[in-house]
Amino acid sequence: MTVVTVEVGDRPLRQINREIRALASTATEIVVTDPLSRHNLAVALTEDTPVRILGNVGYYCGGLNSGGVIHVEGDCGWGVGEAMARGKITIDGYAGMSVGASMRGGLIHIKGSAGPRCGVAQKGGDIVVEGNIGYLSGFMAHTGRIITLGDAGDATGDSLWEGAVWVAGDIKSLGVDSHPVEPPAEEVAEVEELLDGLGLADSTRDWKKVVSGQRLWYFESRDSSAWLMI
Amino acid sequence: MCGIAGRILSEPGPVGADLVAMMQAMAHRGSDSTGFAMYGPALPEGYVVRVVSMNRRRLDQDLETFHSILKDYGSDFLSDPTWDSLKQRHVSVRMTMSEPTAEFAEWLEEADAIAGFEIQSVGRTLEIVKDVGNAEEVMEKHDLGSYIGTHGIANARMATESKVYPTASHPFWARPFPDIAIVHNGQLTNYWLTRYRLTRQGYRFYTDNDSEMIAVWISDQMSRGLTLEDALKLSLTEMDGVFTYLATTPYEMGMAKDRWAIKPLAEISENGNMATATEEQAVRKVYRKHHPVINYDGPAEYTTWACRPAKAIAA
Repeated sequence: MTVVTVEVGDRPLRQINREIRALASTATEIVVTDPLSRHNLAVALTEDTPVRILGNVGYYCGGLNSGGVIHVEGDCGWGVGEAMARGKITIDGYAGMSVGASMRGGLIHIKGSAGPRCGVAQKGGDIVVEGNIGYLSGFMAHTGRIITLGDAGDATGDSLWEGAVWVAGDIKSLGVDSHPVEPPAEEVAEVEELLDGLGLADSTRDWKKVVSGQRLWYFESRDSSAWLMI
Repeated sequence: MCGIAGRILSEPGPVGADLVAMMQAMAHRGSDSTGFAMYGPALPEGYVVRVVSMNRRRLDQDLETFHSILKDYGSDFLSDPTWDSLKQRHVSVRMTMSEPTAEFAEWLEEADAIAGFEIQSVGRTLEIVKDVGNAEEVMEKHDLGSYIGTHGIANARMATESKVYPTASHPFWARPFPDIAIVHNGQLTNYWLTRYRLTRQGYRFYTDNDSEMIAVWISDQMSRGLTLEDALKLSLTEMDGVFTYLATTPYEMGMAKDRWAIKPLAEISENGNMATATEEQAVRKVYRKHHPVINYDGPAEYTTWACRPAKAIAA
């Protein structure tokens, strides 16, 4: 076991990320201290060495990762795991706006609630939020699953493509061209299996799966008044 | 893009240094210009006036004109004006004046008419300092690091809607209401229409900056009897666009955020002190240890915080 500590503080960010990447091939665990809510920490990781961050982080933590197992013991700012291709990110607290924006694969697990536009333009992978998800969650998501054990905010699943927003609680309102469907038993089983792996098993949940109504897929400008929300 | 910040202290303290630290942490959001609106010990009578003159060589002449207008309105300098000694063409002037015996708005209109001589703030306690450059450059030029006060707001600007110019930067004073200022991060889309309506009521604007209009609009609503909180709430439907702004009076600070939930704001409060900024990492320049963070991430949010104005001191 080689546990190595990387201190953030006011040091240059590139130096910190280079250190994390270099240590990832030798250490068994990297502990990142005093993160001071700074942006772009632990980005572009390729190795699956656990990175434990002791405190809040800023924007784009774990962005562009194609690997990496990040555990933030605090909150994160917007765009956590943006465009990640593979790997796992766990946030113990609240996650800001645009969780997993454009992510292509991997898993993001938020133990608190998530802000607006959770899973915006998601192109694959899974987002699990134990609390609630905010306004416009799943906006324009192409593929992948956004799963909340709590409630969903206004305009859920607005302009969805082929992504899906799974809600165990209540949906405040639906977005443009999205609607809830009763999910097939085998899909529910897959979701519950994923949650079981996170220690969140509960067979009594009443899932609503929000999907695209597919009318926007064939948008014609003469129908624009039907979509005009402002 | 822009970055904004606010700071409240329970007792008078280094509000200037705190705001500079927060703004420097957000220099990447725009360093075209940086500005500060700070509330220090109030004058028992009269006003602190902050002016930017666009022509240093005309300064003596302009100050003389300003002085003679003051006297026409039954007012006078309470202390000699002071200004920066740099070699830049524009010059920042600070002065204190006794209260005009005639109508304040009429005095202001006449004083504002001095060409190239723009009044940036008037208040018993409010002082607005804004200039081109990042927070540390503005701090060094205007000696903000030593400013002692109870609260203040600041802005780092990336100009999107009007030009880069010392007087087009934030914060904006709510002309002609003393002691009210705002900073804004965003773009308003119904700016010209709302400005036109306010102009028809007699308000005057000195920039084409949409944020100047927010300051005047908020103060106009408060002059009709709305509380700051009510005015902030009303702005959520009256202003169109994406915005998060902070507004302050000597007694209160408030924030409002549009219904599209675009521009973030994070807050840490403890023991009657508060720091808020667009980015949490800027707030952490003031609170380096862990504190619970409030995120105003949702759509159509507004709130207010109480400020405790410092006791009056003599000019």
